[in-house]
Amino acid sequence: MNDVQAVLAIARKDLLQELRSRAATVATLFFTATTLLMMAFALGREQAVLASATPGVLWVALVFAGVTAAAQSFQSDLEDGAFDQLMTYPVSRAAVYLGKLLANWLYLAVLGLVLAPVALTLYGAALPGLGSYGLIALAVALGSFGFAIVATFYAALTANLQAREALLPVLMFPIVVPIVLAAVRATEGALSGARSPVGDWLLLLAGFDLVYFVVCGGLFHFVVDE
Amino acid sequence: MTEPASATSQPGRRASGGGPALSLRGVRRRMGRETVLAGIDLEVAAGRLVVLRGSNGSGKTTLLRLLATRLRPHAGTASVFGHDLVSEAEAVRGRVGLLSVTGGSYPVLTGRENLGLTTSLTGKGSDDDAEAALMRVGLAAEADKQVRYYSSGMKKRLGLARQLLMDPDLWLLDEPYSALDEDGKRLVDECLSEARARGRTVLLASHEQDRDALTPDAIVELAGGRLRLVAPAGTAPR
Repeated sequence: MNDVQAVLAIARKDLLQELRSRAATVATLFFTATTLLMMAFALGREQAVLASATPGVLWVALVFAGVTAAAQSFQSDLEDGAFDQLMTYPVSRAAVYLGKLLANWLYLAVLGLVLAPVALTLYGAALPGLGSYGLIALAVALGSFGFAIVATFYAALTANLQAREALLPVLMFPIVVPIVLAAVRATEGALSGARSPVGDWLLLLAGFDLVYFVVCGGLFHFVVDE
Repeated sequence: MTEPASATSQPGRRASGGGPALSLRGVRRRMGRETVLAGIDLEVAAGRLVVLRGSNGSGKTTLLRLLATRLRPHAGTASVFGHDLVSEAEAVRGRVGLLSVTGGSYPVLTGRENLGLTTSLTGKGSDDDAEAALMRVGLAAEADKQVRYYSSGMKKRLGLARQLLMDPDLWLLDEPYSALDEDGKRLVDECLSEARARGRTVLLASHEQDRDALTPDAIVELAGGRLRLVAPAGTAPR
């Protein structure tokens, strides 16, 4: 059994669980839909204001949905002692982390890629060209990856705590702010059609992802081994 | 240091490398502020079946979770088949299998999928072995049902099927008889006797007093955070 197979088996298991239970899907879809609609009403009818707010609103919806999804990914593991069982298998802690991260990332990235065109349409933000959607997709992929890195780590950290629902966002939001800011700026740049700043923000996003990946991956075993 | 509670070697039953299957010396573990294990000394030779008794909250589950590498000892030394529980945890995990009180299965997956995951992650057993294990524990007909629809007893049977599939060198069982009917309890006795006959080491935490079919090599009792040998090797529980 190598680590790559273990990562894929754990990710597949997490995604299958979500597909069956839809525990996170129902909550995140409801939450993102509510956020997009409420913000649209709050911002008023001014087309320019709505369009300029699109990147921020998109990422606010994604971030809060991501917290719910990450918390749920560990919650279902804790039922019936299944996570305990998983941790007694001869699989490295890094493989467990990567498996759960992969599942969380895929879930968030798909959500972001579905949500982006909905937000653009609802807020009337015009795309300068097809290439811009590619850049937005890249920003969603990198931003959701960075977010999933931090969310998976902190979801594991708070999984056994009584006040986990309250603690998870409190602990992770300050850490995840640089990623969200860079993702918002990159999305904003893609919508404005200016290539140069988009590239810079995407590079910065990739840099944050790398740093967080190394740190969270390296510390994960301290979080799950009691 | 006091002499460890010991289930010594029997002829023909040896740990790999000739050492004990598990060895604990002065192991201490706190849970929160409470010291649950206050200096555990235990040595079990390979191929032995040892019953661990103790009242609720005495630390039986803590001890089993520690041996399964889920908890780290706060003091003392502990090894399984010569591998240190902390520094060689992954090697230990390759040789132990834990059956927890709750069964340890994913509720949204089916019984068959749960065993498939075990096979994928441990590299032990095959689809045919999983089928045979499900058949053995009487869950073949329910194998494609999600575990959340299983009764507590069925969850425990699935956990037993996982143990059969993995067939680890050290079987750790936490209240394996709980929630089981009499047929299920007999099945556990049979599986444990067979595991011992194959040279596996078994450490079993149980409140069951009169399992006539099961003849443990030793019975140890956990009280006040320490282990006491109740019945020495070769003594049947009564």
